[in-house]
Amino acid sequence: MLSAAWTIATKDLKLLLRDPAAAFFTLVFPLGVAILFGSIFGGRGEQRQDLALAVWLGERTDAAERMARALESAKGLAVSRAESRAAGEEAVRKGRATALVVIPEGFGRAADLLFFRGAMRLEAVVDPARGAEAGLITGKLNELAFKQIASGITDPARSRALLAEARGQLATARFSDPLMGPTLGRLFDALDAVNAQTERAGAADGDVKGAGGGFSFQPVEVTVTELERRGSAGPRSGFELSFPQGVVWGLMGCAMGFAVSIASERAAGTLVRLTVAPLRRGTILLGKAMACFMACAIVQALLLTMGVLVFGVGVSSWPLMLAAVVCSSLAFVGVATLLAGLSPTEQGAGGMARAILIVLAMIGGGSVPMMFLPPWMQTASSISPFKWALLSFEGATFREYSAADMALPCGVLLAFGIGGWLVGVRGLTRQRAF
Amino acid sequence: MLRLENLRKAFGSTVAVDGLSLTVRRGEVFGLLGPNGAGKSTTMAMAVGLLAPDSGRVLIGAGAGASPSDPSVRLGLGLAPQSLALYDELSGEENVTFFARLQGLSGRDLRGRVAAALELVGLGPRKGDRAKGYSGGMKRRLNLAAALVHDPPLLLLDEPTAGVDPQSRVGILDLVQSVAARGTTVVYTTHYMEEAQRLCERVAIMDLGKIIAIGTIEELIDAHGGGSVLTVRRNGGPATADERVTTTDPVRELTRVMTGPDAATIRGVTLDRPDLESVFLTLTGRRLRD
Repeated sequence: MLSAAWTIATKDLKLLLRDPAAAFFTLVFPLGVAILFGSIFGGRGEQRQDLALAVWLGERTDAAERMARALESAKGLAVSRAESRAAGEEAVRKGRATALVVIPEGFGRAADLLFFRGAMRLEAVVDPARGAEAGLITGKLNELAFKQIASGITDPARSRALLAEARGQLATARFSDPLMGPTLGRLFDALDAVNAQTERAGAADGDVKGAGGGFSFQPVEVTVTELERRGSAGPRSGFELSFPQGVVWGLMGCAMGFAVSIASERAAGTLVRLTVAPLRRGTILLGKAMACFMACAIVQALLLTMGVLVFGVGVSSWPLMLAAVVCSSLAFVGVATLLAGLSPTEQGAGGMARAILIVLAMIGGGSVPMMFLPPWMQTASSISPFKWALLSFEGATFREYSAADMALPCGVLLAFGIGGWLVGVRGLTRQRAF
Repeated sequence: MLRLENLRKAFGSTVAVDGLSLTVRRGEVFGLLGPNGAGKSTTMAMAVGLLAPDSGRVLIGAGAGASPSDPSVRLGLGLAPQSLALYDELSGEENVTFFARLQGLSGRDLRGRVAAALELVGLGPRKGDRAKGYSGGMKRRLNLAAALVHDPPLLLLDEPTAGVDPQSRVGILDLVQSVAARGTTVVYTTHYMEEAQRLCERVAIMDLGKIIAIGTIEELIDAHGGGSVLTVRRNGGPATADERVTTTDPVRELTRVMTGPDAATIRGVTLDRPDLESVFLTLTGRRLRD
């Protein structure tokens, strides 16, 4: 029985390799996807993509210039100066910048009249397609503007200038509360005393500006720390994300090819000869399943080999990787059998396989990484065997799953395999496929 | 060798085979003839176990025989389906090797049988070419090679010469004769009466799911062919003036004409004996079948 099944399986693999289109979409296309997406995600990961911003200064003041320079020197931002607001908006529209930061007229005056005017206004014009980054930009602008305020208070020279301006405003200001004017005057006196103390401390430290050893104003400090890796965990490069995606496309090619295999045999007339041969029906199905399993395993092995040897993909555990490959292959044997059982004709089986597998691959992280999918779709993606195949592959690479962690995706994949096989065989029996 | 007992098969309300019984003897070439839709292919499908009969049974082999649903029984079967059953992307040799392996052949025996089968059908020189590059006739011969590579005692050939040129047809008929000469039992379906007449020892004519006549060619002609036609042409007369006499005793009729008073005016005599085609048309009629 095994010998006959092996004969059928090797014949099917030979046919796969001799069909240029099938071989391309099963073996070459997934590799291309992995390399392309890996490059898009940042290649080998030596350099990260900065957030591109355009900045336009609506006025030529020291405060506006300081704010622009603060943006330019901020980590994670790639800032270019726009010659005009329109030019900046055009840069956003064309996708050269994620957002345009407008430092409007009056920004410098608001910075100088810290205690009397309204807020220092900044405007961010954001590409509507990049809504996720809008919050990030707002936070960054708040942080940098607040630093401008803090530096105005803690730099004695700037602080003194601010206080002189404020005292001038205080002399002409009218307050509804008569106690407000004297209170602000005492605050300004206190800040003058702080400036004097800061300058003395700075002179003692040899710092003529005086900011180094004395008063500082930083009420909030946010520290960003990258998740500590377990060993070398975490994707070291875009390729560690994209090669599992390549696996998804490879598995899809295999499942698609073998879903129509029985219908193709029927259309070619060879199924008649297989059925008349001294084989049990189960042997023919087993041969088909073995071919599908081997094709799935070969695709994964090929991608893994290329990933490891050429693109620096790291494998955290070879035994777990083997488990992932075996379970994924078994799952897609089941999926292919299930699809084969849906329609007796080559066109019907092929059409249904394409429609179903493409949707499952897309929601399973084949085209868009799972993290970019909306939450409801991330939940819905659990129905896709591609998700679990991807997870198991990632688990044996950068996620560094333990055996216990790997049990869930492997278990789900095996369930897909067994369930798909049983339902598919039932469908084939109903079709009188043999 | 092959016994079909009271087979019945219906597809919905259409009865394809209706109470068919026949026996094919060991070593004979048996023809199964009938117009389109007569039920020949359904009968063949049931004979090899591709279709389960609604009632009746198929028995293959010596003695009591056994059902073709048993894989060990199918080991002794060779089938060349009417539609070519080949893998276009495999070479001729790979195709035959694949089907031979499924029959359990291996090693030196496998290689020897494959080479012999390919030589037998005249494809030895082209065995390494992919089947998709073969002509129609070569594909038909390859289809035959795949059916007989394991030297089955029972060979079922379903219209093996459909769509081939005269040279390939003659080659295939010679091949069937040589296979039959080795003692292989052959069941042969065809639309070509001259093929059946050349190859078959006995034929069954089917129509509307039933066997309407069965026997040797001579028996069928005698029973259903009608009389021979004797045509006499005389000097000076136009062709329309030829005398045509239908007779069941052509020798006596010929003697009568040749010894008659007008014998000196005879320019020529033609005797047309009835053949299988006239039997077929007599039994199944001239109405077109779909």
